[in-house]
Amino acid sequence: MNVDLSMFERFAVNFQPGDIIFCEYEPGDNFYLIQSGRVQIVKILGDIEKNIDILQPGEIFGEMAILEEAPRSATAVAIDKVKALEFNRENFEVLMKGNPQIALKLLKLFTKRIYDQKRRFMILTLSNIEARVADVFLMLAENQPTEDPDQDQRTFSTSVEDIAHWAGMSYAECKKVLNHFAGQRRVEIYEDRIIVKNINDFQRFVTSQRNKQKVE
Amino acid sequence: MPKAARYHANSVVYFKGDTNDRVYILKSGKVSLNYNDIETGQEIHDIINTGEFFGVKSALGRYPREETAVVLSDASMVMFTVPEFEQLVLQNTRIIMKMLKVFSNQLRRMHKQVRNLISEGKDGLEPEEGLFRIGQYYLKAEKYHQSLYAFRRYITYYPSGKYSAEATRHIEEAEKALQGGGTPASSAGNFSTGDAKHSTPANEELSDTAKSYYNAVSLYSQDNFQAALDEFKKIVQANNSEEYVAKSHFEIGRCYLGLEQYDKCVQHYTQMIKRYPRHPDLRDALLYVGNCHEKLGNPGKANGFYNKVLSMSSENEVIYRKAKRALRELEGAK
Repeated sequence: MNVDLSMFERFAVNFQPGDIIFCEYEPGDNFYLIQSGRVQIVKILGDIEKNIDILQPGEIFGEMAILEEAPRSATAVAIDKVKALEFNRENFEVLMKGNPQIALKLLKLFTKRIYDQKRRFMILTLSNIEARVADVFLMLAENQPTEDPDQDQRTFSTSVEDIAHWAGMSYAECKKVLNHFAGQRRVEIYEDRIIVKNINDFQRFVTSQRNKQKVE
Repeated sequence: MPKAARYHANSVVYFKGDTNDRVYILKSGKVSLNYNDIETGQEIHDIINTGEFFGVKSALGRYPREETAVVLSDASMVMFTVPEFEQLVLQNTRIIMKMLKVFSNQLRRMHKQVRNLISEGKDGLEPEEGLFRIGQYYLKAEKYHQSLYAFRRYITYYPSGKYSAEATRHIEEAEKALQGGGTPASSAGNFSTGDAKHSTPANEELSDTAKSYYNAVSLYSQDNFQAALDEFKKIVQANNSEEYVAKSHFEIGRCYLGLEQYDKCVQHYTQMIKRYPRHPDLRDALLYVGNCHEKLGNPGKANGFYNKVLSMSSENEVIYRKAKRALRELEGAK
């Protein structure tokens, strides 16, 4: 995004490496546009700090605060020295008028988030837990397009924890389903990756489960 | 160039699952967006009013259409490609603003729906408990800097919360660990982490700082706010004494208030509170932020801050009475 942001200098805030910018569960009233440095978005789940995303200059985060002060859904930590512009509902209008490009960017970000969230919801509506895990792989495949769309076998460098998270089930439950799939030779599970032997097979499986559910 | 298009009744503008990058605005006639509710599966028909856009999300997000757009009675519309649409809204930010509100509402609703499905089992932590747990996680992981942040925020939001005693204890623990040469993540200007670089100023340096501080205070008391502001800023910049830097931060806010720069005052105190969540003058700062919001014409916000001060004070304190009075005056002004 090549836009002049010098007029927003008064909204600039600085963070040192390791600084928490905001913390999950605290009320959110600001959102940020990164000018320099990287920001990591993490979630603490039990004893693990799970990386959600690493954001680069030009990216926006904390954007849910535009509408209302709800608790933050994740923690934002500065990786490098970070300079960011800090906006809130009060000065947002100024931002909009001075730089509609940022607002447009925000609009696009929302369209993507809504889509991702809907997709996630679709997984959770499946009552069959095997179908749910299969649908997680379908979602991952959609987000990671291949050069060869005819290829059946797909490799995912996703952990079992992550899959359990997306499928809305416990680690143990998810592991059981994956082992079952492995027994059927539909997947191969390695330390750092999971191979789905035939993604189209999963597609058919999920579609038939969805149709079955509709009839019920 | 945006194109005009006409559709007869019962024709379809686009089908669910189609991919194209057109955005439409309805000029006349009737169009319905048909889709199944993702939660209930129920078929929904959303009628588009004339003058409304449709097809925006899937076009901008570059994903397949999620609904079928059916023409109910002969309709005319204008079609935009995504670049054309962007041109249009960049010149009319009110459209973006409106759409942002609609979209963020939808996203909020989606988040809630997902949470409802997931929290059946676990995960449904209350914010108060969640924040405290995060502090605990970082403490256990020996990330003291982060742990301090979470616990201090906890104390700020829940000064008499169910974990406040424990949080205070953990704060001391983490501070001690940082002082004991643990693993101090850089903590520029964070006065209570005891960063050795700042906390051992030479004696005469300190007294110099103190001198300029009291000089600035006296400028302030003569209503010479601008000069006082400049002096306090110098103390902050020189960064020789943590104590006086923290104090000066508080005074800088008061100078902005004196100068009637309410926006700056709010901004400054917001930063200060973030940096020093246990600042001794925290409640006064919150009161001043309330004053600013009142001046800026946000009585709702002002009310919120005054009440926050009340919740942090006991009835026999001066600050309590100040906040009480401010609230009364706010009521009277309505």
